[in-house]
Amino acid sequence: MIRRLQTLTWAGTDPYENLALEECLRRRVEEGTCILYLWQNRPTVVIGRNQNPWQECRSGALRSDGVLLARRPSGGGAVYHDLGNQNFSFLVNEADYSVKKQLSVVVEACRSLGIPAEISGRNDVLAEGRKFSGNAFLTHQGRCCHHGTLLVDADLEALGRYLSPSPAKLRAKGVASVRSRVVNLRQLREGLGVEQIRESMVEAFQTVYGLEAEALDARSLPWGEIGDLAERNRSWEWLWGRQLPCTLQWAERFGWGELTIQLEAEGGVVRRAAVYTDAMDWTLSSALEGALTGCRLSGSDLARAVADLDLAAEVKADVLSLLEGQEI
Amino acid sequence: MNFPADLKYSKSHEWIKMLDDTTALVGITDFAQSELGDLVFINLPQVGDAVTKEEAFCDVESVKAVSDVMSPVTGEVAEVNEELLDAPQLLNESPYEAWIAKITGITEFEELLDAAGYQALTEQQ
Repeated sequence: MIRRLQTLTWAGTDPYENLALEECLRRRVEEGTCILYLWQNRPTVVIGRNQNPWQECRSGALRSDGVLLARRPSGGGAVYHDLGNQNFSFLVNEADYSVKKQLSVVVEACRSLGIPAEISGRNDVLAEGRKFSGNAFLTHQGRCCHHGTLLVDADLEALGRYLSPSPAKLRAKGVASVRSRVVNLRQLREGLGVEQIRESMVEAFQTVYGLEAEALDARSLPWGEIGDLAERNRSWEWLWGRQLPCTLQWAERFGWGELTIQLEAEGGVVRRAAVYTDAMDWTLSSALEGALTGCRLSGSDLARAVADLDLAAEVKADVLSLLEGQEI
Repeated sequence: MNFPADLKYSKSHEWIKMLDDTTALVGITDFAQSELGDLVFINLPQVGDAVTKEEAFCDVESVKAVSDVMSPVTGEVAEVNEELLDAPQLLNESPYEAWIAKITGITEFEELLDAAGYQALTEQQ
C-alpha cells in the first residue's frame, strides 16, 4: 500500500550518471513509497541489459556523431534518446509494484494534455495506434524499476541511423530488438514541449495515487555511491565486455588475394581468430591469427595489433583499412 | 500446472532436485515460467560461483521484465546448463527438465516445500 509519493526531476543529461541515480533510488526506496524520477539523456543509444552492442548499433556512426552508448539494467531492445525525449522511472518495493497503475500515470498525463492515450497489450502505451512510450522493467532484490521513454520531439530518424545492425556477419547470443511504429507527441498536440509533459507527469502521479507528492532533495543522496555506479556504467567492461559470446566474419578480395577473418569473442575480447587466405605469403594467416587473438573487439584495437606486424606494405594497408572500416 | 512429486520447492518459485546429500539441480517452476511470460534470455551464473540461500544467483529476461532467480541453497556452482543460452524458451516449454545450475558442496537449505505444499502456495497467489 503506497502512502508516500516522492518526485525527482533531474537536470543532468549524462546517461551514465542518470542511470546511476536511478539505481541508487531503487536500492533505497522504502516499502510504502513510490518514487517518480524524471530525467533526460543527451543523444545516446541505450541498449537493454542482455543485448550485444556489436549486434545492435553502428558504433562507428555513434563515435563520429558523438552519440553515447549506455546499457540499462532492464530488459528489452535498443532505443535512441535525445533531449526531445523525456524519461520517467517508477521505483517501488515489490509489494507496491503495479505496472497497470504506473502506466495509467502516463495515460493520465497525456489525456490531461488532450492526447488520447491508451494502454495496449501488456506494457505499451499508444496514441492513435502508434507507440510514443517504450517501457522496460526490472525486479532485483525485492525492489522494482519500471522506466520508460516519452517521445515528445525526438529525432525519429536517428533510430535508423544508429541502430542498424553491423554490416559484418555477426552471430551473437543475446536479446534482439524489435522495431515499432513510433510517433512524437508533438505531432499529436502542436507546440508540446518536454517541460509540459514533465509537469503533467507529476500532476498525474498525484491524481492516480490520490496523494500529495513531495520533491526529493537531491543533496540528501549518496553522491559517492552514485559516482561509483556512473563510473561502472561508462566503463568498457560494462558496455562491451559482457561474457556473451559472439562470432564475426569478414571476407574481402584484394589485389594480392582473398582474405577471410573469423573472430570468436567472449567478454568483448577475441578468444580465437581464424584467418584464411590464398595470398602468396604463407605466414600471413598465422601472423594475423596471433596478432588478433587476445585483442579487444574494436576496430581500432584490432588495427593497432596488425600495425605492428612485419607485412608487405600493400597487404598491411589493405588489412588495416578492412579492420578500421568495421562498425565495431 | 505441473508439480512433480520428486522435487522440492522454494517459496520464491524455484525447484530443487537432490542428486546426493550435497549436490542438486536447480531450476524455475512451471508456475514461475507462466508468471514470467516468454523468456528471451538467461544470465547464467558461472562455474565456481558461491551461491547463498535466498539470494539471487542469476537472472532471467522475459518479454515482461528482468527478474532474479534465487538460490534455495548455499553451495557452489559446479555446472551450468549452457543449452539455455541458445534456447531460453526451454524454461517455458519444459521447466522441470531445463535445469539452470548444478550446485555442489551444499551446506545449507532454505525452508523447502514438498509438491503438495508448493501447489497450495501457488493457489493462494
